[in-house]
Amino acid sequence: MGDPAPASGIEGRPEDILRASAVSRSFEGVQALQDVTLELHSREVVGLVGPNGAGKSTLVNVLTGFDLPTSGTVELRGREITGWSAHRRARSGLTRTFQHSRSLRALSVRENVEVAALGVGVGAREARRRAQELLGRLGLTELADVRAGSLAQGDERRLGVARALVTEPAFVLMDEPAAGLPEAEVPEFAEVVRSVRDDHRAGVLLIDHNMALVMGVCDRIHVLDQGRTLAAGTPEEIRGDLNVAAAYLGETAVATDA
Amino acid sequence: MSRRLDTLTELLGPAVIVILVGALATTASASNEVYFLNALVFVAIVVAIYVFVGISGVLSFGQISFVAVGAFAAGVMTVPVDSKKGVLTSVFPLLRDHSVGNVPSLLLAAGLGGVFAFVVGLPLMRLSGLAAGIATFAVLEITHNVLREWTKIGPGATTLALVPETTGALQATLGALVAIVVAFLYQRSRRGRLLRASREDPAVARSVGVNIHLERLLAFTLSGALAGFAGALYVHLLGSITTEQVYLELTFLTLAMLVVGGLTSLWGAVIGALGVSGLDSFLSRAEQSHVHVVLTFTLWQGTRLVFLAAIMALVLILRPSGLTGGRELRLRWSLRRGRG
Repeated sequence: MGDPAPASGIEGRPEDILRASAVSRSFEGVQALQDVTLELHSREVVGLVGPNGAGKSTLVNVLTGFDLPTSGTVELRGREITGWSAHRRARSGLTRTFQHSRSLRALSVRENVEVAALGVGVGAREARRRAQELLGRLGLTELADVRAGSLAQGDERRLGVARALVTEPAFVLMDEPAAGLPEAEVPEFAEVVRSVRDDHRAGVLLIDHNMALVMGVCDRIHVLDQGRTLAAGTPEEIRGDLNVAAAYLGETAVATDA
Repeated sequence: MSRRLDTLTELLGPAVIVILVGALATTASASNEVYFLNALVFVAIVVAIYVFVGISGVLSFGQISFVAVGAFAAGVMTVPVDSKKGVLTSVFPLLRDHSVGNVPSLLLAAGLGGVFAFVVGLPLMRLSGLAAGIATFAVLEITHNVLREWTKIGPGATTLALVPETTGALQATLGALVAIVVAFLYQRSRRGRLLRASREDPAVARSVGVNIHLERLLAFTLSGALAGFAGALYVHLLGSITTEQVYLELTFLTLAMLVVGGLTSLWGAVIGALGVSGLDSFLSRAEQSHVHVVLTFTLWQGTRLVFLAAIMALVLILRPSGLTGGRELRLRWSLRRGRG
């Protein structure tokens, strides 16, 4: 189990794969990521789990262009994109959501979604149509004219997903989308994640401490600990892995209030 | 439907108030007219600054550089050729032997302001926050010193006089309207919306494809062009100008206007420019002579700027988003019913 397992049951054509190969990142001597290799395919949800400081957010940053790896490469649909800027990656179908509630706070919910479509080069009319449709699908139509800064947690997370989806991405990387979400809203959010995979046919990399969510929606799980890959496999395999139990499950008790 | 109305209000609000001020200018006495015209030119300058600072959220102390470039370009190029031989003795022959008309000088000023801003913006727009503020301040300092010392391109430290005073009520009003319409069209455009998104959260904007460096550079350039244009209006209002008049005090005054009105909206920029310049005119008159408001009084020299600075500080403390709250003008009923 020590090595990253190949994709389970999904044949990967290069155009459907986002891949980090032997990626390392160090910050002033601290090794945040060491030699991590990870593949994300279209139409699958991969969970990225591990204790705080394991390098999960660093990996998402390196994949989405918010940070550059010290060594290793990132490939999107067969093209190397290691040095690409974040906005260029977004226009090529790779986008992300952020830890904590982050929105264009002074703008309306509708404008948040429309402007995201404009950002990847969609025309104003089409942006409006897409936004209208997505707001409906995510149950945000009623809130379309509300300032994004005044949304409740759950609505804010769904807005983050709407903003990502309106760009019609091939891959969406979600950094702790369920953190701070009331427990009762987690199952509903799990449905949203499944719909990104099934209806929007995107690949999802999901970082979350909520093991019920991760185990429930992920097709595969990748475990990081101290910047290294500790394990990778199906949820069943990971559940049975003792290393993971030691490194991660001990953490969940701490993480629930994080 | 109400969304369309909001769009209309957003443009018409500032436009109507500017036209009103322009109309008032024509009814005022000759000695008072200049205050109204001054206010309208300040609208143009503050709107120019708003296009970059207000929409991008990046502070710049440098936009008055482009006003200065526009003012001196338009000034030097409109002094009649016969007079130039006397007052602009050491300028390049090209500048000495040619003059242009009023409208070409406005366009020239806009073009130069835009080009200068683009060149300066290329390296500077990679900065943000404090670094951007300080670096743009450096641009102001460089521009000021070049204009003051280099007598091949202008009058140097002496006064540039004999500039045709073409900014009357009509030109001041139209000039302010041009600035407002351009700013409105920009902020409603795709590019303006992307820049505003980057202001709210740069990381979120990047994650949906916004090239922040590019968007800021374009806004900086547009702001520079508008500032150059406004500088030309200014010099044609004053008739004579020194480099000191487009330097620190003007930088402070125009930023105060933007802050007092509300940094993040066109409506705020216009209201702030009109309100503060009205107050400024009143105070500067009170410094120079007796003013009758209930009591007759004269203010000490310097009271004007002390007072204006205090007001800016008070607004920042009590109402940080400015008198307009940084929002565009909305009609009340459309607010209640919500947009869309």
